[in-house]
Amino acid sequence: MVNFTVHNCGLTVGNIEILGVSAASMLQIGDSDYVTLYSMFDTPPESVIVGPIAPLPTPEGEEEAVGESPMAG
Amino acid sequence: MEESYPIRVSQIGLVSVVDVSIGAIIQFGDRAEGSPKLNALAVQRAVDHTKAGSVYFESYPIFDRPLPKLIDPVADAGEDVRIKRVNHCPRINVGCISVVGVGSTSSLLAGNAMRTIAESRIKHIRQYEKTLIPIT
Repeated sequence: MVNFTVHNCGLTVGNIEILGVSAASMLQIGDSDYVTLYSMFDTPPESVIVGPIAPLPTPEGEEEAVGESPMAG
Repeated sequence: MEESYPIRVSQIGLVSVVDVSIGAIIQFGDRAEGSPKLNALAVQRAVDHTKAGSVYFESYPIFDRPLPKLIDPVADAGEDVRIKRVNHCPRINVGCISVVGVGSTSSLLAGNAMRTIAESRIKHIRQYEKTLIPIT
């Protein structure tokens, strides 16, 4: 058993600027006993985009890469 | 021993929020328990929604996945940590809070809470026109 003692002395904050609080997150000014936050997010990989892709050159040493099919040609 | 206050009160000068959406909470004051839940399908479509039909939560396993469990018998029996709080000052002071967006079962709380259990599940899918995908 761990005995944990918290001393809350004076707390004064000037300004809080936040762009977004999202996906099961929390901004609290106060005290909490228990907080449980679950977030599941699933998005498709960008590679599935059908259409013109950015014209990137083939990586350096691409021919010698082990275990990967050659991209050029 | 210094004086100890049973609870602390939050004092805020100004709160500025632009948008509160999909299952979010903004609360001024104390709460016992909050358990917001959100299931969302974010669909990007090449075809108009009226023509492309419905999408169903049942089609995606993310919505039936069980939540991860903490297996710790010591913690369950309440024999791991004993927390003692001593409030030397009865207030938390904040000048100005400005938030642009609060969403997806998140919460902005000015006050005390006993228990918060938030859960958000979002599945993002893209649906293309059939002719766009070359099927060999």
